[in-house]
Amino acid sequence: MAVVLINDKPVDIGNERLNLVQAAAKAGVFIPHYCWHPALSVVASCRMCLVEVGDKKPDGTVAMQPRVVPACQTPAKDGTVCITNSEKAKFSQARTLEGLLLNHPLDCPVCDKAGECMLQDYSYRFGKAQSRMIDPKNRPANKPDIGEHLSLFTDRCIMCSRCVRFTREISGSAELQVINRGHHSEIDIFPGDPVNNPLAGNVVDLCPVGALANKEFLYKQRVWFLKSQKSVCAGCSTGCSIHIDHNKDIVYRIRPRENPQAQGYFICDEGRFDFPYINGKERFDRPLVKPAGERSEPAESAVAWETALPDIRDVLKKSASALAAVVSPMLTVEEAYLFAKLIKGFSPQATLYLGWVPNVGKDESFPRDRKGNPVGPVQFTIRAEKCPNRRGVEEVLKHFQGEVLGFDRLIADISSPLPTGGEGAGVRRRPQALYLTAGYPPRLGAWLNDEQTKTLSTIPLLIVQDLAPTPITQTARYVLPAATFAEKDGCFVNHANLAQQIRWAVRPGTMGRTDGQIFLSLLGRRGLIQATKIRQELAAEIPFFAPLAVGDLGEFGVKLG
Amino acid sequence: MLISTILTILIIFGALQALAGGLVYVERKICAFMQNRIGPNRVGPVGLLQILADGLKFIMKEEFVPHYADKSVFIIAPAIGLVCAMLCFAVVPFGATDNPADADYITHYQFIIAKNVDIGILFIFAVSSLTVYGIILGGWASNNKYSLIGGLRSSAQIISYEIPLGLSILGVVLMTGSLNLERIIWKQASGGILEWNIWFQPLAFLLFMISSFAECNRLPFDLPETEQELVGGYHTEYNGMKLAFFFLGEYTHMVTSCFLMVILFFGGWHFPFIAEADMWWGLKLIVFVAKMALFIVFYMLVRWTIPRFRFDQLMSLAWKVLIPMTLLNLVAVMFVKEYGITPWVLLPVSLGILVGAGLIASQPESKESPLAA
Amino acid sequence: MPIAESEVRWVKAPTLGLLDRLYIPAIIEGLGTTIKHIFQPPVTQQFPEERPDLPANYRGLHRLNRDTEGRVKCVACYMCSTACPAHCIDIVAAPAPAEWKDREKYPEMFVIDELRCIYCGMCEQACPCDAIELTSMFDLTGLTREEMMFDKEKLLSVFDQTAGTEKDPIRTKAGALSCASEPAK
Repeated sequence: MAVVLINDKPVDIGNERLNLVQAAAKAGVFIPHYCWHPALSVVASCRMCLVEVGDKKPDGTVAMQPRVVPACQTPAKDGTVCITNSEKAKFSQARTLEGLLLNHPLDCPVCDKAGECMLQDYSYRFGKAQSRMIDPKNRPANKPDIGEHLSLFTDRCIMCSRCVRFTREISGSAELQVINRGHHSEIDIFPGDPVNNPLAGNVVDLCPVGALANKEFLYKQRVWFLKSQKSVCAGCSTGCSIHIDHNKDIVYRIRPRENPQAQGYFICDEGRFDFPYINGKERFDRPLVKPAGERSEPAESAVAWETALPDIRDVLKKSASALAAVVSPMLTVEEAYLFAKLIKGFSPQATLYLGWVPNVGKDESFPRDRKGNPVGPVQFTIRAEKCPNRRGVEEVLKHFQGEVLGFDRLIADISSPLPTGGEGAGVRRRPQALYLTAGYPPRLGAWLNDEQTKTLSTIPLLIVQDLAPTPITQTARYVLPAATFAEKDGCFVNHANLAQQIRWAVRPGTMGRTDGQIFLSLLGRRGLIQATKIRQELAAEIPFFAPLAVGDLGEFGVKLG
Repeated sequence: MLISTILTILIIFGALQALAGGLVYVERKICAFMQNRIGPNRVGPVGLLQILADGLKFIMKEEFVPHYADKSVFIIAPAIGLVCAMLCFAVVPFGATDNPADADYITHYQFIIAKNVDIGILFIFAVSSLTVYGIILGGWASNNKYSLIGGLRSSAQIISYEIPLGLSILGVVLMTGSLNLERIIWKQASGGILEWNIWFQPLAFLLFMISSFAECNRLPFDLPETEQELVGGYHTEYNGMKLAFFFLGEYTHMVTSCFLMVILFFGGWHFPFIAEADMWWGLKLIVFVAKMALFIVFYMLVRWTIPRFRFDQLMSLAWKVLIPMTLLNLVAVMFVKEYGITPWVLLPVSLGILVGAGLIASQPESKESPLAA
Repeated sequence: MPIAESEVRWVKAPTLGLLDRLYIPAIIEGLGTTIKHIFQPPVTQQFPEERPDLPANYRGLHRLNRDTEGRVKCVACYMCSTACPAHCIDIVAAPAPAEWKDREKYPEMFVIDELRCIYCGMCEQACPCDAIELTSMFDLTGLTREEMMFDKEKLLSVFDQTAGTEKDPIRTKAGALSCASEPAK
């Protein structure tokens, strides 16, 4: 048991191995720092965290070191005394900041970081207002092509080297390094070797100043206009915690959110940059209906929700005994539950199939070197399974049907000579009506091949719920709009059975409704969907999801199973 | 005879309408000058055609009747107001009139519509009191709280001020011995400037003038149409020609009361050396109208000088100040007539009554008085 | 907090004497005042013919200033639209054209809804590089709402009209922060 004294306040840090920045944070004292990051190695190069440090001897006397030392590099031991608010410590921090700002161009008006910049924040809290620099500032040239998604404003850099350490320690690709010496040091790449590793976008978040910028977000919005929503990435089954930064129903940026249970501190570029489809113009925002009997005719007409939903319920009821439904792994657990309940409510003979589970390549683990060989322990994994909720949907299907039928089985069943009618819950039938939910991001490409599309279009009644027009929506009798993960509330269960909550950030178009809302309305339940209530309902019904009874899953999610 | 009467009626009607329009212009100009402004100057030379523009605007406006209003009464109310105001003018001489005692008075043309009406003043009071019907009906028919309050205020105000108005001229009537307006003029005109009633009845003139301000709904007594409290008072819901009727009635009323003041106290058409009894009628007409115009200008000056009264102040002025003073004045005239004293006594007596009233008012008020604030 | 007794001054209504109570002298005095005003010269300004002489710090129509090379001085920092209490400034930023060597960011679109604007001048105060200023032009009219949406070209033309005239806003000085638009000294 170790007790550290931070500004004369004793803090018990137990057996944790902490540095003084972390120990002080436990005491509620913030020590400013640039170069230190919990996921990266310690270099103590920025000198922003200078504090006075001493030792409390067993006899009660305190021996202070004569100089200020960087807190990030000083381990917290039993009896360590740390003073952050003395004149000496404050003077050191202010002078350090003045030194860091010597060559900083102060172009906050045009800098994208302004508003979330640690230079601004620390200048306000720990620095002084004016620079005494009278010599011309270093103005090294910008490097706009430092990466596919990255742009380096070299003159804003304070040489904390977080980005360099990231490429060395987390991604392992080591594209970035510091060149030149002293005041002329710069971050740079080897000529012709830009930072294009699958985790490169993280250096923008790591950069405490505006030096590294995200080209997709550059000059799109000032950060103070953005509203942030805590959510979960739907890109793969890792289920990284993210912030969705949005304004006026447009998603502008996705940032990682620290979650030790899910992925740590970072996200991959695939998840970071795959959001423009959410703002896509071509997305459906209202139901489309094709007149009965004219199935080859592509002329669909948009109808109001108020007429479409009762219609769909009627036609589903009529073909209840030969009804099949595809539950997409892009749906949340709550939506899958409502959907399964809806379909099984029409007839217990109706069959539920798990939607297509996209698997692209292999799991990619980091750090790995340029040849793809792993270096050291795994820090981050991009999974091959590119859907967020296969586990959750499977458990729902298991509960309602006892078995999980894959998408291939559906294709097989349609083309098989199974009977189309008959009694008994266990008897499999050839589906005469199909309610297909999809919602796959366009990045995954066409998920049905021509043959599958042809097979599906032989079904007399086809209802497709999808984001945007695809070949299958062309042949469907009814098309319902689906919602993306940024538009709905609910929870996803990741590869490791971690249930994490997603929260809506933007609205699904002017007329749009979320999938859950559609299922709720089809079930005949009134009102707006309340994911928390549905979650508690399913937690009570399905034993696997019992831990979800808490309702709000918190920031980091809840472990299941 | 009949033709000349009809012609006179037509001319008078036309002139009164035009005069009312002109008065709006004059009022706006005088108001502007008092406030260091220029006033209407866009339509025509020095804005003279503003009268036409305003009239045209009134005519062109949509005739709008609120659906919750009592439609027939709503429409008829402004007409009542205007007709009554116009009707007063039947017995008001507006130019040279001869001695009504002459045998050929009736056969000669006189500048009056209805000649030698012996109850002239009574007729005027009777008819002009009816104008309040127009206001009350208008306010009630609008079915609007502001309008109703405006109409009710008007009725209370006019009933209160009828009394000092009537009592104040009784002195003049007693001294002349007639209610006939031509006789009242002739008595003053034949006696020269020193026979003008103003010398014997200055207090009565003051009280008459104050009361007629109230009768015409002019500032400082325009409580029925206070913009700040009642939006527009009784004519809040009116627009277009119906609103114009109310205005015309009001201005006609003002012209009538100015004529009356000239007739009763300032010798009518008479003015020494300029318009004596045996002189050309044209001069008399000019003098008469000029005197009347002076009073109208005075009305307008007062309007932009004195702020509006509060309603309780208005009432207490009528009942506590004006009526006692008119009664005292009347008693004084009776004394003079009864005992044959020279009427010049009335001048100091009038002033005495005024100062006496002032003395009473300037005594420290007792705590019990409801007016002690 | 109650007012201290020492700070309270009791004022009594004046007692009116005989002359005051007669009111007539006071009325005559009032009439004298109004009549006096009749003979004073009018202060009216005949607006369309006579133009008001507005001070240079009048807050009228906006202008977007040009820098020494004639380019828009604005760097699209959004400070004005952030400060704007009426939310009438709409900016779309973009990387500056490649030939603008000293600039990284410029406004691709800059629209002020002059109908929504309340002319408070906060945009001008917020601007770190003195790019937006309020001129003394006040009588702008338009036949449609779209006409009153002043875009970048329109706002720059306001600068062309007002710059160098005697009604140039007096605040037009290069600010310490106008780093991105001022040529290097």
